[in-house]
Amino acid sequence: MSSIIVTGQRASVSRALSRTLLWVWLVVAMVPLAFMVLTSFKPEGIARDIPPKWFFVPTLENYTRVLQGGAGSSVGFDRLLFNSVAITLGSTLLTIAVAVPAAYALSLRQFRARKALSSWILSTYMFPPIVAVIPVFIYAGKLGVVDTYPVLIIPYAAFNLPIAVWILRNTILQIPYEIQEAAFVDGASRMQVLTRIIWPLLVPAVATAAILSAILSWNEFLFALSLTRSAAKPAPVGVQEFTGMFGTQWGPLTAAGTVIIAPILVMTLVLRRRIVSGLTFGAVK
Amino acid sequence: MTVVFVVVAVSLQMGLGLLLALPLAQQSRSNNLATALMLLPFAVTPVVSSLIFRELLNPNYGWVNYFMGVVGLPDKTEWLGGTTTSWIAIIGLDVWQWTPFVALILMAGLQSLPLEPLEAAAIDGASRWQSFRFVTLPMLAPFIAIAVVLRTIQAFKTFDSFKVLTGGGPGTSTENLNLDIYRVALQSFRIGAASATAMVFLILLSLLVPVMLRVIGRGSDPEEV
Repeated sequence: MSSIIVTGQRASVSRALSRTLLWVWLVVAMVPLAFMVLTSFKPEGIARDIPPKWFFVPTLENYTRVLQGGAGSSVGFDRLLFNSVAITLGSTLLTIAVAVPAAYALSLRQFRARKALSSWILSTYMFPPIVAVIPVFIYAGKLGVVDTYPVLIIPYAAFNLPIAVWILRNTILQIPYEIQEAAFVDGASRMQVLTRIIWPLLVPAVATAAILSAILSWNEFLFALSLTRSAAKPAPVGVQEFTGMFGTQWGPLTAAGTVIIAPILVMTLVLRRRIVSGLTFGAVK
Repeated sequence: MTVVFVVVAVSLQMGLGLLLALPLAQQSRSNNLATALMLLPFAVTPVVSSLIFRELLNPNYGWVNYFMGVVGLPDKTEWLGGTTTSWIAIIGLDVWQWTPFVALILMAGLQSLPLEPLEAAAIDGASRWQSFRFVTLPMLAPFIAIAVVLRTIQAFKTFDSFKVLTGGGPGTSTENLNLDIYRVALQSFRIGAASATAMVFLILLSLLVPVMLRVIGRGSDPEEV
């Protein structure tokens, strides 16, 4: 009897310890975000005060300054944001437009090479972008497309495709094939099956794949840094130029950072566990 | 150094991730909040988190030195001025950003495990540690494998934090292969040398492909059960 009680107590002690650890982690992990959001609302004069001022009259001056384009970078921040939105939308649309038919083809039993091709597509995830940057940089220079939207949109779509195709393919494979057969018996064409039967069932997975592609394109830095100069420069490249000649102005920097992460923070919280599922290629439900 | 970074960062993330996943996997109302908070760092654009970390580590105005002073630790560290402290910063950033990903994978894994083997172990008189070590951990192995493989691949590809947080410095002491290739190719324009390094890097990473195919392909392909 006594041994059971002892284990019970020990169990609750270790449980309390692990819960404490969890919350300590969460609090510490929030510090960088708290720093960014708090500082973005501080007037320039007190932004760098140490010890940090916890109570102050919040101001929007950093946001208005940044959004009107009047901060450190060579290109206005409003323009940078517009570029980011255009590139993200473009690459997401392209990813989905290619991924849906590709995923459908890879789910067909009549298609002999589907397993080998699926594996090949999955293995391209390993491909380090830095290796692709060199040839893309050279050919983009020869074609005269450096610093345009397509030079980022196309590689981003290429990098997002493995994840998108796998999410969609796994979803299609879970749809019972008999439904498609029934439609064929009723005289539907392959195209009608895809648009009338598969597509409606695929919409939630398409949404997940689209949001994931959007997040990855929005965050991308290496290609953006290498292939844009000014006209097509997206926000992550622009924001790191805020730190420059005159040291770092914390107000504009943190305001810009907050604006950049706000949309993806929202999308991540909307997706919740599906984002983890998606980023593991559906291997974790 | 690239390999050392990957090994250290991924091991820390796996250890911490597992410790955090255990309490997170229990069903409770506060855990919905905890899961949402957990996701946040992982949603931050890497360039932005690198910039934020750089300012936090500022020797004079940074919050890190301030908080270290508050709890009585040395508070004059020039974090990005020394090699060791720069590595601590860059690994700390990676752990901050990616541990949640590992924890959430393992949490999903823990929640999907059947309870019967644990009950059987308890009836056979296994201690908590024994049932964790000999029942839970082996059942969790596929999920651990997924997390390790994906994190290893991502860690090898890390570029943003090296470029923005330390810039490879001081000197070239925190340069990884990605940053080295970038600099040789696009700043020194020695395309040949950079391509050679890139090819070696590609071959190195290709070794991970069969492992990845086994781990991911097995878990998610309903045809291949």
